[in-house]
Amino acid sequence: MKDILLKTENLSKSFSNGGTLQHVLKNIDLQLYRGDFTVIMGASGAGKSTLLYALSGMDTPSLGRITFGEEVISDLSSDGLAVFRRRHCGFVFQQIYLIDGMSVMDNVLSAGLLVNKDKKALLRRAGELFRAVGISEETQKKFPAQLSGGEAQRVGIVRGLINSPEILFADEPTGALNSKTGLDVLDTLTKFNGQGQSVVMVTHDMRSARRGNRILYLKDGAILGECELGKYVHGDRERHERLSTFLTEMGW
Amino acid sequence: MKKSFLIVRANLCRAKGQTASIAALMLIASLMLNLWLMLSMDYKRNFERYHDKLNAEHVTLALSSDDAGMRDFVSETLEKDARTEEYCIDDIMFMVGSFEYNGGEVNTEFVIFDRQTALNRPVGKIEIVEDSEFTSGIYLPMLYGADHHISVGETIDIMIGSSTVSYTVCGFLNSVMAGSHNCSMSALVLTEDKYKELEEKGFAPKATLASVRISDKTQCEEFEAALKNTVSARYPSVRALSNAYTQVSSSRYISQMICSGIVSAMAFFVILIALVVISSSVINYIQENMKNLGVLKAVGYRSRQIISALLVQFLGITLLTAAAGAGLSYCLFPAVNRMMIAQTGIPYQVRFLPVPFLLTMAVTSGAVALVVWRSARRIRRIEPITALRQGVQTHSFRRNRVPLETTRAPLQIALALKNTFSGIKQNIIVCITMLVLSLVVVFSALLIENMLMDIQPFLNLIVGETADSCINVNSEIEREFLQMMDEEDCVQKVYLYNTVEVRQVGGTALYANLSEDFSKVNNQQLCIEGRYPRYDNEMAVAAKYAKENDLKVGDEITLTAEGKEAEYLISGLTQMSNNLGKDCLLTRSGYERMGALQNASYYINMEEGTDIDAFHAEVSEAFGSDVNASINVLEVINGTAAVYVSLMKIIVTAILILGAAVTAFVLYLLVRTMLNSKKRDYGIMKALGFTTGQLILQTAASFMPAVILSAAAGLAVSALIINPLTAVFLNGIGIVKCTFTVPVGLITAAGIGIVVFTFAAVCLLSLRIRKIAPRTLLAGE
Repeated sequence: MKDILLKTENLSKSFSNGGTLQHVLKNIDLQLYRGDFTVIMGASGAGKSTLLYALSGMDTPSLGRITFGEEVISDLSSDGLAVFRRRHCGFVFQQIYLIDGMSVMDNVLSAGLLVNKDKKALLRRAGELFRAVGISEETQKKFPAQLSGGEAQRVGIVRGLINSPEILFADEPTGALNSKTGLDVLDTLTKFNGQGQSVVMVTHDMRSARRGNRILYLKDGAILGECELGKYVHGDRERHERLSTFLTEMGW
Repeated sequence: MKKSFLIVRANLCRAKGQTASIAALMLIASLMLNLWLMLSMDYKRNFERYHDKLNAEHVTLALSSDDAGMRDFVSETLEKDARTEEYCIDDIMFMVGSFEYNGGEVNTEFVIFDRQTALNRPVGKIEIVEDSEFTSGIYLPMLYGADHHISVGETIDIMIGSSTVSYTVCGFLNSVMAGSHNCSMSALVLTEDKYKELEEKGFAPKATLASVRISDKTQCEEFEAALKNTVSARYPSVRALSNAYTQVSSSRYISQMICSGIVSAMAFFVILIALVVISSSVINYIQENMKNLGVLKAVGYRSRQIISALLVQFLGITLLTAAAGAGLSYCLFPAVNRMMIAQTGIPYQVRFLPVPFLLTMAVTSGAVALVVWRSARRIRRIEPITALRQGVQTHSFRRNRVPLETTRAPLQIALALKNTFSGIKQNIIVCITMLVLSLVVVFSALLIENMLMDIQPFLNLIVGETADSCINVNSEIEREFLQMMDEEDCVQKVYLYNTVEVRQVGGTALYANLSEDFSKVNNQQLCIEGRYPRYDNEMAVAAKYAKENDLKVGDEITLTAEGKEAEYLISGLTQMSNNLGKDCLLTRSGYERMGALQNASYYINMEEGTDIDAFHAEVSEAFGSDVNASINVLEVINGTAAVYVSLMKIIVTAILILGAAVTAFVLYLLVRTMLNSKKRDYGIMKALGFTTGQLILQTAASFMPAVILSAAAGLAVSALIINPLTAVFLNGIGIVKCTFTVPVGLITAAGIGIVVFTFAAVCLLSLRIRKIAPRTLLAGE
């Protein structure tokens, strides 16, 4: 029996667009489990990112409930959501979004010091993460503009994980990277998931989606189907075929 | 050009708030500039216009006798002098007097005309500026009717000599050379019946007024001194009082000069701030729009076209707002004019003045064009490919300021300090604004401390010597008078302080303040260099006069009075503004080397709570007509100082409001620029879990180092330079050294106020951070 980490009930999100109401998410009932690598897929405009914003507390739903453990996060104020995000969530963005004016280390510590006042412990954790993603001490002193895309995204992952979040949300983390560096990033995420880190990733890239153990397919704001792939094993052909079949069924 | 307008339109649409703030700053700057130019270029010229219109005299001589022989002598003297162009000699009455005004008392020498004579004099004509149906009464100089201190139809009690008369105010007059107590003499016009009645009462002697126009008005002071000396030498028992064009034109425009100086300083500072803000906006524009500039260049725009677009954009805003500001100054000018008329006593018709307007437009647009061009030149160096690929490179990677890894500062403070170090331009603008605000605050604190809370320091500086009472008695009864003062319990101290006119041989007329012992006078700050005169061959001379005539302590000069000459050693330099720096101090025995005093003014310090008017009545009763004048000095000071105090209240309020408004505009622009340039960073931080409140405090705190340091430095430097700076403003009226108390406590409190105000303002202006949503990052906005 999997441990439910986050749950949505009748989650809906609508936007007003030129006077007409556009329903982007429609009555989504969903459960995310601890330790899973959940991948949300779908065509452009399906509502993948909107679902990710809502699940991560970056946005509030128009209707419905989102529960994290015992806490109903859909009722929180914007400051309450900020506190929720800093305590429970980590983020990896497609555009990376490191703060240009801060060094690599400061980018990571600025997120870490928000939650953890024990600087020594924090530096230890940062050191471990940097080593895990292959960022040298010299690179830690650099500024974002001095990094390659792959390095920057790995720093983004370290920042996302610095507070040992219960869920790491990744929005198209390889979208802005070339295939080699994209692969490195996926390997990093897979490695941390292997260590028990829950990951929710939005992607429209099949190669990226293969890393998940659970695939949700979104169409027109609703979950059209889901597929369990099991634990990722490098070079697993059958896994690839199962995913292809699922996506074909979904009309991908 | 059409292409440039497309860019201008796009820029304006994108930066409406910034445009509005720059427009507001330029509006204030041009308003102040036009106001200053109008005040300095035209207001004083108004005196010359009225001088010509009323064919006013260049030299006035009032003599306390109507002796026909004396009048012939005066006529003869005038006709012999080749410089005399035109003159008239009229019957008047002439006496020291006073009346209540503006909560105090005006005490001056009255020259009293009958209406017919006043209106029909060929030289020095008086005009009625406000008349009424009242046919029996008095016309007063219009200065006293300004702001309705005295109104038509009101009954006014006037003390002439030691007698009081009551008149209905029929209206107000304008006299160029005797229209204010600042002219040494003040004209009163009586209707014929009242004039005859006063003549019959004999309260004031029948007297003579000679009004002379000369061919070269620059020689008026020499002419005045020569005429007065000649007549006094021949008729020593006749009391003579005179004034000259240059002295009157300066003394009537003291307030205009002070006001104009303050407005000019404010205009300069606001323009400076506006230019710094515009320069910063252009640089920010280039940094934030590097990619867009690359695109424009890539599609064929030339650097010149992009720079032209920026010039058109900022010049357009400047020209429109400068015209509006100059226009607005005309809306404000009637109020300033009313305030000024209450000081100058000369009517001024507000009308459009093209030269100040054009100068305002030219100075503001010229300065803006230069600043925009200099700041935008770097566009020429932008290569389209580099701009498109790299976009903006705003951060210096040379040094990681306040590394979070090692700093002991709390996270919020550390992040705020990082922002501070990364915003050098922001810090420079904050520093300049705070320095200006500090100067404004210190100047206001100086005025509050030395004028509004306790007027004594101002009086010591401007008025010179003050006491509770001043009684002028004939010299024959001085001994008895002093004996009576000794016996009076209410008298604390009595000392001679008498003003007479002397002249430096080869120089101009000076007002000599005589005392037997200067260590007894109340204001011991008159002497600013050297010491007071002690012996009969010593004198102290006004520092301004000394500077103008290249005199210094230790020099000897020759004075003349009553036809005799004597040499004096300059023992000290003084400053007084009563006679615009044409003063000196002499011991009584020193003066008596030239002439004897016919009457003597004694200054008296009274016990607390003494009824001074009752005391004067007692003295008058004891000595009758040997008392020439009794002045309740405090009342007189209240009357004249109240006008300055109300002017200063307005000035302090105006400059503080203006200072706060300019600071708020600058902060708005800075915060707005910061929020725009760091919008992405704020979004990231919100996504990571920073709350809106934390980001607002971080933003406000990032301004604080520059605010605190520049405000502290600005206040300290301003406190040090404010007295010398004020002396520069007041130099025209004879002040060379200001000794105002610098209120350290008030300035410290103001400093704390500036920091709190800035912090609160930045917090309020940063509320827009609430609208920055982390989801916009994910949406790629």
